[in-house]
Amino acid sequence: MNTLLILDKDSKTKLSKDLKVKVIRTLKENGHDVDVFELGRNDVTQCYGCFLCLTKHPGECFNKDIVNEIRKNIDNYNATFYLTPVLFGHYSSTIASPINKGAGSNNLQVVIGYGDDIDEEERSTFIDLTAKHCGKADIVHPGLVNQVDVFVSESFEDNVKICEELKKYMK
Amino acid sequence: MKNICLVNGSLRGKEASSLQFLNDIDRKLPDAEYHKTIITVIGKIQDRYPEEILDSMAVADVIIFITPLHNYGIPGALMRLLEDYYVYREPEYNRKDTAVYMIVNCAFPRPGETCGEAVRVIRNFCRRLHLKWRFAICIGTGPVVVMTRKIPFLYPKLKIAYSEIISDIQNAGNAKRIDYLIKPIIPERIIAAIKHHYEKKGRMIKPINKPQ
Repeated sequence: MNTLLILDKDSKTKLSKDLKVKVIRTLKENGHDVDVFELGRNDVTQCYGCFLCLTKHPGECFNKDIVNEIRKNIDNYNATFYLTPVLFGHYSSTIASPINKGAGSNNLQVVIGYGDDIDEEERSTFIDLTAKHCGKADIVHPGLVNQVDVFVSESFEDNVKICEELKKYMK
Repeated sequence: MKNICLVNGSLRGKEASSLQFLNDIDRKLPDAEYHKTIITVIGKIQDRYPEEILDSMAVADVIIFITPLHNYGIPGALMRLLEDYYVYREPEYNRKDTAVYMIVNCAFPRPGETCGEAVRVIRNFCRRLHLKWRFAICIGTGPVVVMTRKIPFLYPKLKIAYSEIISDIQNAGNAKRIDYLIKPIIPERIIAAIKHHYEKKGRMIKPINKPQ
């Protein structure tokens, strides 16, 4: 199994470093080859919402940044895991770039948010925002039903629990 | 004279529906009564947004975010602006009672089901910075509304919602408000057919890829 792990390198905390180590270990212990991309705010160009990647040149963004390179090879991966800080209940702008440009695997995408001062409403916003990618809003993204999952970690204990839950995708 | 900061969350330039909605609001705020600044988000930033942009937001009495919906959230470029503003403004908590409004337009016909989380993100942003959240206008299938909004007797709710923003700004409203949901006039099945066509063309719809 080939897995892509995309991280926000500008938002590292003790919690996120622990999460990264544990997720990689869990994936490798379960037979995954993991390619890690640590993206920074200066590395990515944001999605313009021009839809040219859907219409004029499918699968390719007109901005030739690192995210475009990731997307070109996406068919080689069984799953994509995103680790992102939760900011106002949203994923970070750096992680927004690959998510909005469709750089995640078509088979499985798992978004794991982290932060040690997230309030309840931010946590809930983040989960709802990502859960809608699963097709809960019935008029949107029909291809992604049951292929997106979301977790939020606020502690080292949460990291352990999340990694246990991830094993369900590795059978 | 009140300072109004209009934030265009779209990177699509003149093609953007958000820009049209921004212009609608801009026209309803008389130049003689308001000092207005328009900020447009940037697709690629080195390090952080320029200080003059962040300062325009910091001195504003009113901020109006006008933005498209990206994957049920806000565009990455707007998210970057919020992140940078949060860091810039954080030491100055409670300095001003800035009122915040939002106009969000999406590609889907049911704004009530798709725009909610983007609005919650801006509300969370306001709560973190002690800004005064007011209300949002959520517009379904923005490009359709842009094309048809000037036809007489269509979209009375949108016109009311615009007027409510202007009146709320004038009266420095504090009462809790609900969001306005604007639906397009074109039947949903036609919009769904157009969306399906482009998703198929763009390989957003299965068959599932089988990695080697």
